[in-house]
Amino acid sequence: MSWTLLRATLRARRTSIMWYSVSLVAYSWLMTWFYPQIGGGQYAELIDNMPPEMLALFGGTEVDFATLGGYFQTEYLGLMWMLIVASAVIIFASKAFAGGIADGTMEFTLAQPVSRVRLAVTRVVALVGYIVLLAAASFAPIAIFGPTYDIELSAQTFWTLSAFGVLFMLAVGGIAMLLSAMFRDGGRAGGIAAGVMGVLWVADLVSNVSEAAEVLDPVNLVTYWQPGKIINGDAVAPEAWWIYGIVGAASLVAAVLVFRRRDVA
Amino acid sequence: MDVISTAGLSKFYGKARGIEDLSMCVPSGAVYGFLGPNGAGKTTTIRCLLGMLKPTAGEAMVLGEPVTLDGSALRHRIGYVAGEVRLFERETGRWHLDLVAGLRGSRGPLEAELLERFDFDPGRKVRELSKGNKQKLALILGMAHDPELLILDEPTSGLDPLNQESVYEVIEERVAAGRTVFLSSHVLSEVERVCDRIGIIRSGHLVAEEDVRSLLAKRLRHLQVTLAGDADESLLTGLAGVDSVARVGASGLTARVKGDAVDSVVKRLATTEVADLRITQASLEDVFLEFYRDAEGGEA
Repeated sequence: MSWTLLRATLRARRTSIMWYSVSLVAYSWLMTWFYPQIGGGQYAELIDNMPPEMLALFGGTEVDFATLGGYFQTEYLGLMWMLIVASAVIIFASKAFAGGIADGTMEFTLAQPVSRVRLAVTRVVALVGYIVLLAAASFAPIAIFGPTYDIELSAQTFWTLSAFGVLFMLAVGGIAMLLSAMFRDGGRAGGIAAGVMGVLWVADLVSNVSEAAEVLDPVNLVTYWQPGKIINGDAVAPEAWWIYGIVGAASLVAAVLVFRRRDVA
Repeated sequence: MDVISTAGLSKFYGKARGIEDLSMCVPSGAVYGFLGPNGAGKTTTIRCLLGMLKPTAGEAMVLGEPVTLDGSALRHRIGYVAGEVRLFERETGRWHLDLVAGLRGSRGPLEAELLERFDFDPGRKVRELSKGNKQKLALILGMAHDPELLILDEPTSGLDPLNQESVYEVIEERVAAGRTVFLSSHVLSEVERVCDRIGIIRSGHLVAEEDVRSLLAKRLRHLQVTLAGDADESLLTGLAGVDSVARVGASGLTARVKGDAVDSVVKRLATTEVADLRITQASLEDVFLEFYRDAEGGEA
């Protein structure tokens, strides 16, 4: 890993890092503030009147909607958070290699005495750092501002939610980074990664209303994303940790190995 | 010792040929000019030498070490200036200098001197720089650490004559200090000015390696002479290295003259009264065409 390259990588993305982080802090604070405004009883009533297909759209049906976890899952973390953070992570990761090759800066960087593995590992570390930052910007405001609005998030819940969110986005970012190592164009890599996520989301949506589609659930990253259950104090299924961990680690290692052997100009 | 040597180096992009079966040697302390038209394979060759492209076949040795895709230690000893300068547009020249210093472990010993010689302001962002100033920055970044081998791809592109001269002077000084330069160029006058030896590449093949003197001997000139009296083609016809002799008007003659025939032409003209004389260098394209005609037994 190269600290010089890490600083350069993060600096090159400073604008998007800042805007995504600030927006997530504001959005999380807004959703925390909003919870007592609508009141638990009214919210439960609202949810009861929704068709299950509509609820499925907001992030699965595994959580009791009339709870704090149900609120955060349906109103924020189940869909909107996933869309916002996945888009940020896919854009970041898809530019990791292909972006530099397309704009010519990779040629300049690799003309210096830095090995490809070192450069690739640095890009992976930058991605991990970015995801941790986005997770902190998402979940810390709930933990910090929550008590003001009668929302108590225990330390264990906060850390579990943060770790699970980071691992989920590492799996998403890993796929995007692998595609970035394979293609010359960051837009193409990002487009395919976004397409994969879109397919997984649709598959999850369909599986929530149709048993026939449940066959995809064991390998569907979106299906395992149940932040409401964590907020309600339920345990995360062990296979969810494994799936995210394996997809994330395998795709990031593969990205480094592919980049090590490819043409970079 | 050869600083660069390749054996059967080939690179194909799918079915498209980049370079094929390229074997060449660049001796230590030389300035090697790598000549060829656009698309001939010059940049592909350079990228293979830098380990940016994986050769389809063959091998390359640089500074005594085999070139690999992950050869960071080797690149510590090489300075590279790309043909098409593409840097981080939102950052300043100073930021780039700091980045290179960070990656190389120290600031280049020639950095301050080069900044002064090229009269370059490192405080401006790259996107605000003209093409010539971007080229200056790329040159400073590539040469500041005083590398053992300088690989320059069209290094004076976009530079004004004064800065071109500065580049030539720096190259000559580096060579005098024992460094080696591999220079890709279209510009014959540039090659003449600084190179000792030349490799000519066409359609991915190295068609010849020549000393500069030898190439100059192949260089064509266009002769236009106006005599005081009536002109007659027989004045120049038959001279070795002279062809395409033609009369222009009553007293004018034109001809093509190879470099090593200039002396005999001037001596022949001295036998008569000359009113005007103009000798112009043929374009590099003409030199190539002539050279390739020779190399391929009459087919240009």
